[in-house]
Amino acid sequence: MEKDGLELEITELRLGLPGRDVTEKMMKKRGFTEMIMTSSGSNSEQCESGVVSSGVDVEKVNETPAVKTQVVGWPPVCSYRRKNSCKEVSTTKVGLGYVKVSMDGVPYLRKMDLGSSQGYDDLAFALDKLFGFHGIGVALKDGDNCEYVTIYEDKDGDWMLAGDVPWGMFIESCRRLRIMKRSEATGFGLQPRGLDE
Amino acid sequence: MNYFPDEVIEHIFDFIASHKDRNSISLVSKSWHKIERCSRKRVFIGNCYAINPERLIERFPSLRSLTLKGKPHFADFNLVPHEWGGFVHPWIVALAKARVGLEELRLKRMVVSDESLELLSRSFSSFKSLVLVSCEGFTTDGLASVAANCRHLRELDLQENEIDDHRGQWLNCFPESSTALTSLNFSCLKGETNLAALERLVARSPNLESLKVNRAVPLDALTRLMSCAPQLVDLGVGSYENEPDQESFMKLMAAIKKCTELRSLSGFSEVAPLCLTAFYPICQNLTSLNLSYAAEIQGNHLIRFIQFCKRLQRLWILDSIGDKGLEVVASTCKELQELRVFPSDLHDEEDNDTAVTEIGLVAISAGCPKLHSILYFCKQMTNAALITVAKNCPNFIRFRLCILEPNKPDHTTSQSLDEGFGAIVQACKGLRRLSVSGLLTDKVFLYIGMYAEQLEMLSIAFAGDTDKGMLYVLNGCKKMRKLEIRDSPFGNAALLADVDKYRTMRSLWMSSCEVTLGGCKRLARNAPWLNVEIINENENNDVMERNEEDEREKVDRLYLYRTVVGARKDAPPCVTIL
Repeated sequence: MEKDGLELEITELRLGLPGRDVTEKMMKKRGFTEMIMTSSGSNSEQCESGVVSSGVDVEKVNETPAVKTQVVGWPPVCSYRRKNSCKEVSTTKVGLGYVKVSMDGVPYLRKMDLGSSQGYDDLAFALDKLFGFHGIGVALKDGDNCEYVTIYEDKDGDWMLAGDVPWGMFIESCRRLRIMKRSEATGFGLQPRGLDE
Repeated sequence: MNYFPDEVIEHIFDFIASHKDRNSISLVSKSWHKIERCSRKRVFIGNCYAINPERLIERFPSLRSLTLKGKPHFADFNLVPHEWGGFVHPWIVALAKARVGLEELRLKRMVVSDESLELLSRSFSSFKSLVLVSCEGFTTDGLASVAANCRHLRELDLQENEIDDHRGQWLNCFPESSTALTSLNFSCLKGETNLAALERLVARSPNLESLKVNRAVPLDALTRLMSCAPQLVDLGVGSYENEPDQESFMKLMAAIKKCTELRSLSGFSEVAPLCLTAFYPICQNLTSLNLSYAAEIQGNHLIRFIQFCKRLQRLWILDSIGDKGLEVVASTCKELQELRVFPSDLHDEEDNDTAVTEIGLVAISAGCPKLHSILYFCKQMTNAALITVAKNCPNFIRFRLCILEPNKPDHTTSQSLDEGFGAIVQACKGLRRLSVSGLLTDKVFLYIGMYAEQLEMLSIAFAGDTDKGMLYVLNGCKKMRKLEIRDSPFGNAALLADVDKYRTMRSLWMSSCEVTLGGCKRLARNAPWLNVEIINENENNDVMERNEEDEREKVDRLYLYRTVVGARKDAPPCVTIL
């Protein structure tokens, strides 16, 4: 990156949290642009302008932490260690069924008890209540037509689409949930459905 | 030396153990080559696809101990598909067929099946030692065959493997006559353990020095185990989330007090603070401590424990210890040689005031003059801190710094960390392994190429600006063996500049960089002694075929390595060998 370019960015006024510039440089690198690609395009300039003009403060507040957590294999902690020392994976907590739930556009995390839901319909209802938003339930039931998709992180650290596997399997392996805007989900790198590929 | 009979020369060679030295000996003359190869007992193969078992056996017929490594390092971070390869089976088949007197097998990142373990256990009557690190593909049934059939087994060491635990009776499979065990590590098994079988086994193994149990061994069982094995030097404990009652606590402490030889402690996937205090009596003897899996324990408990550990040489800990905790380590552990600080909060959600920063690192460097290896995960760093660390510790052999947020600059000056890492490579003339992070331009690689003369392994992520960065490294670091790069803007120009460089390296990994299919194809054409592997997961094969003509298509993951046996035949569909 040329020095001139860097200085120009520093003087540009923009909304957002400190460290924003860093996030945008991150987005120039291939890995990140693929990860948080907006439907408007994939090259770095469009991505940058897409963020600046997206308007809603709340959205951006959530975007910075989201970008950090979604890079495959980062931070470079080996998968054995991830599975065995992550706070959420301790045997007691998995038994309780509490998982963290994040939703795009909402700047705080929620926790919910998966164990208190009987199935995906129940879960949809619970999520709706959690965020006071009616679209989520629709996302689970009628995946392709809704503004949001519900995804979850499984025991292996992979992100999967919620609703594909039997409920029992789901609550056993689900470590956290995320309700993501459909437009951001393209190219996110979700694991393919089932075992067909 | 030519006046001595071969047996005398062979005897002299027996004193030379290091692989590097023995390799050098074999280059001196034809006769030395022959004597050396016929008498060689231990062979290390850093990349299982660089050679095949038949040629290995042909050259070293007296082989007793084999070390093999399979998947590339970034497989640890889920960047390599599960089915990529690294199968040990063909090696065991070939060794068995040739009746090699194998006694020791050490594997890292390889795929091991129950069938392989069964064949191993039946084929080598003198087999003594099995060490599996970060392997997968087997179950406790395979362990049962090893236990049952390897009459002379001394060491069974399972580190961080993915093992399907069938909750069977594998521990029961050690025959009553098996009394030779010196080392048993099954800490990575997830299921329940037959405690009675374990206790009987330990009781009849007077030479047992190292015992690492899994989380399913409760406190009272641990107490009994320690009571019948007070000779233990290395202990890995289970998971103790509940505070023990008074009586259990006293019994535990009494058992621990008797273990006067204990030097190394690990395990503790969960540990209630009171439990930890039971170990205070032996802290002063500890040279190695691994508390890095104890995610729930708070910094102050860790600090209190470490205050007693004045002889520590190796410490693996979580960043929940905080900068204050590291200051305590710095003032207490004057013998410290290796430190690893792992992140406790991988999802970076909690507003974590207690995580470590540059302050902790500087404190350690100032307080621990013998420090030579460090792995440090932190949220922030400054050039000033790194420059100070370099001044305090010019003896680093391994320096791995991971700033959790990619591309993060010096948080006080907002500049890149080029100067900080530059200071490290300039001061640490013996540096062999380096991992860089944070905001970095091509300049840091200029420094690395200029100063890191002994560097053998370099890990780069989200760094650099142009091909020049990678070129500085390839041109400058004469001893480079393993280079792994992800998410950095290096492309074909750097990849292709000096093809012969890869003759001197074990391997190169590049993922999410700028290299294209065309560039990789050209490399493969110019270097037939390389396997150039393109990995394309999560895309169906149609895409691969469709883009065959499109040489400008960027390659998602590239892994190349020198080999004398050509393209491997066991690659899965997602891997294309050019």
